[in-house]
Amino acid sequence: MGKLQDIYKVISNEKLCEKFTRLRIDAKPIVEKSRPGQFIHIRINDGLEPFFRRPFSIYRAKKSLEILYEVVGSGTGALAAKKKGDTLDVLGPLGTPFGMPPKGIKQIVMVAGGVGVAPFLFLSDTLKKKDYELILLYGGRTKGHIFNIDEFKKNGCGVFQATDDGSVGVKGRVSKLFPKIDPCPETTFIYTCGPRPMMASVQDFARKHKLRARGSCEEVMACALGACLGCSIKTTQGFKTVCGDGPVFDLHELIFEKIT
Amino acid sequence: MNISVRIGKAKFQNPVTVASGTFGHSEKYYHLREVKKLGALTPKTVTLKAREGNPPPRIAETPSGMLNAIGIENPGADEFIKTKLPALKKIGVPLIVSILGRTDEEFKMLAEKFNSVSGVSVLELNLSCPNLGKKVLVAQDPEATSRVVGAVKKVSKYPVVAKLSPNVTDIVPIAKAAEAAGADGLSLVNTFAGMLIDIKTREAVLGNVTGGVSGPAIRPMAVHMVYKTAKEVKIPIIAMGGIMTAEDALQYIIAGATMVAVGTANFINPRAPADVLDGIKAYMRKNKIGDIREIIGSLQTL
Repeated sequence: MGKLQDIYKVISNEKLCEKFTRLRIDAKPIVEKSRPGQFIHIRINDGLEPFFRRPFSIYRAKKSLEILYEVVGSGTGALAAKKKGDTLDVLGPLGTPFGMPPKGIKQIVMVAGGVGVAPFLFLSDTLKKKDYELILLYGGRTKGHIFNIDEFKKNGCGVFQATDDGSVGVKGRVSKLFPKIDPCPETTFIYTCGPRPMMASVQDFARKHKLRARGSCEEVMACALGACLGCSIKTTQGFKTVCGDGPVFDLHELIFEKIT
Repeated sequence: MNISVRIGKAKFQNPVTVASGTFGHSEKYYHLREVKKLGALTPKTVTLKAREGNPPPRIAETPSGMLNAIGIENPGADEFIKTKLPALKKIGVPLIVSILGRTDEEFKMLAEKFNSVSGVSVLELNLSCPNLGKKVLVAQDPEATSRVVGAVKKVSKYPVVAKLSPNVTDIVPIAKAAEAAGADGLSLVNTFAGMLIDIKTREAVLGNVTGGVSGPAIRPMAVHMVYKTAKEVKIPIIAMGGIMTAEDALQYIIAGATMVAVGTANFINPRAPADVLDGIKAYMRKNKIGDIREIIGSLQTL
């Protein structure tokens, strides 16, 4: 596995908005190997709490390695306490990347919900070098989930936002933003990442308009190396591991159970 | 320093292996330089036919441990032998192959299949997976344990180890039944049956509803079971249950285990098995112990 696992230093750990924090790590070996859509698996503390490592999409890989996260439980809570100079045990980069869009694609639509926006800055960093029209449709619960979207604009993305409570942008789910795009089966390609009900709505939209699409999935992970088979999800091709077969899948192969 | 050990006629350079199901069929681990140093490797349990496993979610974090109900997802024996075994053999470490049959006959057929391939050192009989929807596990019944072990022993050319369940009132009679039926060793213990409930939805967290708990949370109970069993049987014990460090492993060895298997810790620290091995050697050097047999079952009592 070579240097797939190593210890790296925290450069900064700062809030970008009320809900999201950006962690920057001095991890050149990972930066050099990373591709958009891949993730890292962090052992947050040396002891037994939190017990599992935690997987995070790579938010940016330029000089340093960056992740974007929301404090939702014990793992991210402990991560938020890390300070400059602290060390982290990191495995990565892991997983199947987004990959480049197929031939003939001109318009790239990134549909993100909440912290699911994390992998898209890295993706737009890569795609901006080509001749694509880039669009980000972003939905958050409240204005606390609306963060510094300027980085996306700097990459040339057209940005449309929605919040559940209407505090920023259009009121409602990110699906309310679908009318903002004019999709074409031959030239439009969708990348999506976010809560399962949101990804299910993107899948419906893509089916209706016959669009090709890839989605990045999240699951609780133990090893993230394909050994435990704990992060398997249902696909039209049988069970697939999110850590190795994914996290990026053809969106049309994903099976979203009914969400109650 | 001698740290080599034996299970039946199978010899291992050192007492450290990995627990089945935690080394998966994941080739990402194979390239670890550390893996080549281990005494043995134990890949994930293989069944006669392919199994797709249980519905997700399959795992959850618990205090100092994990709950899982993977459901023995595996490609089946023939496919395992064809596509997985060659890469595992190439690592150059003896293999303890874990098998699970739904019936005595299937166990026998599995044993026969592995008789005709090379590169296997020991067969481990998984008599104790809690995640297959069975009301009673083989390892919860001394007679069934004896029957399965006897059936496999009759045909297998390899030493046979019975992997037992901690979900019993008393593990000793079952361990003795396995020994009497000819088992060459025992693996203690499989996961403790458990569950987690989401109080918001009032649903079980796992797709399978119940699962098995592993990790440091179960270690004191597992050490106790090894201690109790080792006093009553003569065959060697491969101990597992929450081993994260050499200190954890040494507790099992002192309690009577001949080998130790690192399981859940692989998911937290892929280098844990090698760290455990190095730590055991360091402990022996520090305490001027020349042979691992001097510490096996060496618990001091008044």
